[in-house]
Amino acid sequence: MSLDDHIAAWAATVRLADSDADAIFARIVASPVRSAEATPRLAASWWGEYNAGFAARMVASTRQARRAA
Amino acid sequence: MDWEAEFRRLYEAHRHAVHAYFTGKTGDAQLSADLMQDVFLRVWQHLDKLTDMPDDGRRAWIFTVARNLSIDAGRHQRTLAGTEQALARERSGPAQPASVAVIEAERVAVVGEAIGRLPEQQRVALTMAAAGTMNSAEIGAALGVPAGTVRYWLSQARRTLAQALDLYDDKQEEES
Repeated sequence: MSLDDHIAAWAATVRLADSDADAIFARIVASPVRSAEATPRLAASWWGEYNAGFAARMVASTRQARRAA
Repeated sequence: MDWEAEFRRLYEAHRHAVHAYFTGKTGDAQLSADLMQDVFLRVWQHLDKLTDMPDDGRRAWIFTVARNLSIDAGRHQRTLAGTEQALARERSGPAQPASVAVIEAERVAVVGEAIGRLPEQQRVALTMAAAGTMNSAEIGAALGVPAGTVRYWLSQARRTLAQALDLYDDKQEEES
C-alpha cells in the first residue's frame, strides 16, 4: 500500500456514516420554523434609499453651516 | 420554494467538507458530528439568505459559522482530549500475527496516529483533502488562505507521515 492508500484508509475510518448524516438531516428539518420566516424586516432597497437620503441631508446641512460662518 | 429540497442540496454539497473540517480540528468523530449539526442547523435557520448567494458565498458563510463554532472555548478543551483519543490510535503491541492484513492495518493506524500529532493547520487541511475529498483551492477558500499555502501544508503533512511509516517499518525490521 502507498502512503495515499494509507491516508485514504484512515479517512474512511473517520468519515461520517451516511446513516448518521441522514439522522442529523432529519433532526434539523424537524426543528421549529426557520427564524427568518417569523421575523419581518425591511427590504435591502429600503435601507439603500434611506442611507442615500440621510447622506444627502448631512451634506446639505453642512453647506448651510459653512455659508453661515 | 421547497425549503427542504433546497436544504438537502446544500447539506449534501457541504456536509463531507464540514465534517472533515471538524474532524481535523477536534479528532473526535462524535463531537465533529455534533458540531456539523450545529452548523447545518444555522444553515436551515438562514436558508432564505443563503439561497440568494452564489456558491462561493454559501461555502464562505458555512465555513465562517464552522470556524466560529470550532473556537468555542468550552469545546476547545474537549478537542484536545478528543484528538488524543480518536486520532492517535494505540497499537496493541508487537505480538500480533504477522499477516499482511494485520501489518497493513497497523500501518494505517500508524498514519492515523501521526495525523493526530500534526500541527493543526496541516491536520485540518489533510483531513479535508482525504475525508472531505476537497482540492487545495476548495480548502483554501473554506479556510480563508491561498491554495498555495494549503498545498504547502499538505506536502509538509505527507512528508511527516512518510517519515512516521519509515520509522514503523524500521522498528518492525529490528523486532523480526
